[in-house]
Amino acid sequence: MVGLEHYLAVAAALFVIGIFGLFLNRKNVIIILMSVELILLSVNINLVAFSSFAGDLVGQIFTMLVLTVAAAEAAIGLAILVGFFRNRGTIDVEDVNVMKG
Amino acid sequence: MTSVDFSIVLPEFLLAVYALAALLFAVYTGKDKTAGLISWLTAAVFVVLAILIGSRSTGAQSAFNGMFVDDAFARFAKVGILLAGAAVLAMSQDYLKKHDMLKFELPIIVALSTIGMMVMVSAGDLMALYMGLELMSLALYVLASFRRDSTRSSEAGLKYFVLGSLSSGLLLYGASLTYGFAGTTNFAGILSVVKDGAPLGVLFGLVFMITGMAFKVSAVPFHMWTPDVYEGAPTPVTAFFATAPKLAAMALFARVLHDAFGGISSDWSQVVALIAVASMFLGAIAGIGQKDIKRLMAYSSISHMGFALIGVASGTVGGVQAALIYMAIYIVMNIGTFAFIMTMERDGQPVTEIKALNSYWKVSPTKSLAVLFLMFSMAGVPPMVGFFGKLAVLQAAVEANMTWLATAGVVASVIGAFYYLRVVYYMFFGSDVEPLDDTKGGVANIAVLVVGLIMLVGIINLFGVDTLALTAAEALVR
Amino acid sequence: MTVADYAFYLFAILLVASGLFTVVARNPVHSVLWLILTFLSASGLFVLLGAEFVAMLLIIVYVGAVMVLFLFVVMMLDVDFAQLRGGMAKFMPFALLIGIVVLMQLSIAFGDWTAADGSQALRAAVTPDLTEVHNTAALGQLMYDDFLLLFQLAGLILLTAMIGAIVLTLRHNPNVKRQNVMAQMHRDPAKAMELKDVKSGQGL
Repeated sequence: MVGLEHYLAVAAALFVIGIFGLFLNRKNVIIILMSVELILLSVNINLVAFSSFAGDLVGQIFTMLVLTVAAAEAAIGLAILVGFFRNRGTIDVEDVNVMKG
Repeated sequence: MTSVDFSIVLPEFLLAVYALAALLFAVYTGKDKTAGLISWLTAAVFVVLAILIGSRSTGAQSAFNGMFVDDAFARFAKVGILLAGAAVLAMSQDYLKKHDMLKFELPIIVALSTIGMMVMVSAGDLMALYMGLELMSLALYVLASFRRDSTRSSEAGLKYFVLGSLSSGLLLYGASLTYGFAGTTNFAGILSVVKDGAPLGVLFGLVFMITGMAFKVSAVPFHMWTPDVYEGAPTPVTAFFATAPKLAAMALFARVLHDAFGGISSDWSQVVALIAVASMFLGAIAGIGQKDIKRLMAYSSISHMGFALIGVASGTVGGVQAALIYMAIYIVMNIGTFAFIMTMERDGQPVTEIKALNSYWKVSPTKSLAVLFLMFSMAGVPPMVGFFGKLAVLQAAVEANMTWLATAGVVASVIGAFYYLRVVYYMFFGSDVEPLDDTKGGVANIAVLVVGLIMLVGIINLFGVDTLALTAAEALVR
Repeated sequence: MTVADYAFYLFAILLVASGLFTVVARNPVHSVLWLILTFLSASGLFVLLGAEFVAMLLIIVYVGAVMVLFLFVVMMLDVDFAQLRGGMAKFMPFALLIGIVVLMQLSIAFGDWTAADGSQALRAAVTPDLTEVHNTAALGQLMYDDFLLLFQLAGLILLTAMIGAIVLTLRHNPNVKRQNVMAQMHRDPAKAMELKDVKSGQGL
């Protein structure tokens, strides 16, 4: 029987993959943005699983809000990225000669 | 959902309507030609709303099923946020005009982010918290990269965005675990079930939420974005970053810890105390070698956030009161300092090197004196106002039986004093270099002098901020 | 095991595997495609959990719009991605270490999830019986009633994103000739053209 813990484990694995991807692709901003999307997806799985097993719809409302915000965040992130690319000709965040990190 | 609910969110509602109307007005009329007008109008709306909120004195009310709380604590933070936003908008006008950045979108985005902050400090629910936080953050990401032809500005925006969205992700993961445990996203509901002996899952949730919020107040070890973003963003934007969002994030920090997790204060108080100590010391030590005054202010703000977190960590009414007093003083000092940075220029070009201040007193003795007061106040030298802020948080720590924390605070403030005094040393005793221009007039110059004076006059009774902060703290800590 | 259990394991394994490929793929276009598969598997899980509206939303909004936006940006930016992968081997041990530590800690925490004693009583929106009102209608009633404030805030967030994207990327190039329909329509041939009678042998 598949229980709540199974869903939480899947979400935790996805969350860790997101964090892992952030550290692994420190140079490539597009993959970093995708890693953030993975983290948000893992949050959504958590919320829907809790919502379903507790019989409470608030979790699903929260998920919808997270989806909306994530879409807005992706739009802004890509806009900033395009601006950065126009100025620098690269999307490498480690390549920071202008400012010391 | 009744008309009472709407009357409670009236200030936020008015601000949102104003932002939409201003956007339509600017787009259908002169576009950037109206930018100056809209900036002044936005500042005026902020002040009016601050007066409106400040004059409300109806205890604690909640709207939308406890999702939005209007209490003395929220009102204190909101008045601070609105006045800081208005001050920054007013003093940035000349700088923006001179450097061709006066676009009508800027004040509108500032207004939208301010709505986010107001919702944040009034949040009574994890969902409202998240929406407010994101509204603020998304607007701030845009502001950081506002100067889109500048490499530094877009790089600042990108760094801020990447780390900021990671921190929201962590905060959200913590929020989802908390929801799973408590079965509700309402703070009052969470408070009623999260008690001592809470399982590991909910403690993980708390840790993730603290991590996310520490990012927003730029506390160690999540501070790495601060110096780059402060240096890269346009100076008026940096001034905004250093003031209103910091107060909002700190107020949110205190509200979540007390309103939702007040039942397990012994679990978080040590964590927050550690973050506070690390921030104070890192800010004080790493600031020493800085050559750019905006980077210096970044490390200074990390250190100041550490001091304010001492108040939050002590977990008492006195502690929250001290944190609020500290934040109020911090904001005033930062407005003055950034107003001064905006007036620093040579041959019409902005300069941010600290060395450029050499012998500045020959250029402008009155402004030098005002900056002297400001820097002494930042360093916490008595009898300036900044000293009383530090005194309040340290006293709160001692009263909460955290003497070690207070001792660490004293040591950190002594170390941190060095770099503020170095700025003063350069101004009065530095060697002669090519002097900066003597800019006169304009809101920024007046702001420097006024804030410099406040640093001295404020010591009489802190303008009554301490009693207001006490009422606010009593509303939060029960 | 029932069919639903098999479906869970299918979607869960697909989800984790495609999530992993998203972050390690060499080509960012492949990453985006793996991410799409991740979202599709997640929506499969949501259907199993009885949240069909959110599942469909994930496909329509996420796969349909956001992922296409990602794909568009990846294609538009002319970046040498092979060079960006260079540092991957360097960060791999560190990233793996962090990943494994976090995963272990989370698995300890979630080994046996217990909700608080009073959590059932605290539910703000108890799921109604499926025979009376289905998932989408129930969510709609909540969203436009109890959670109206959040709904409006979501609108403001989208507005901010829109203004931000326009401010950061829209550029008006003054050298581009734009079509002016009114000017075109009101052009008078009598003024625009002149007939010259050229006599032979003389020229103009």
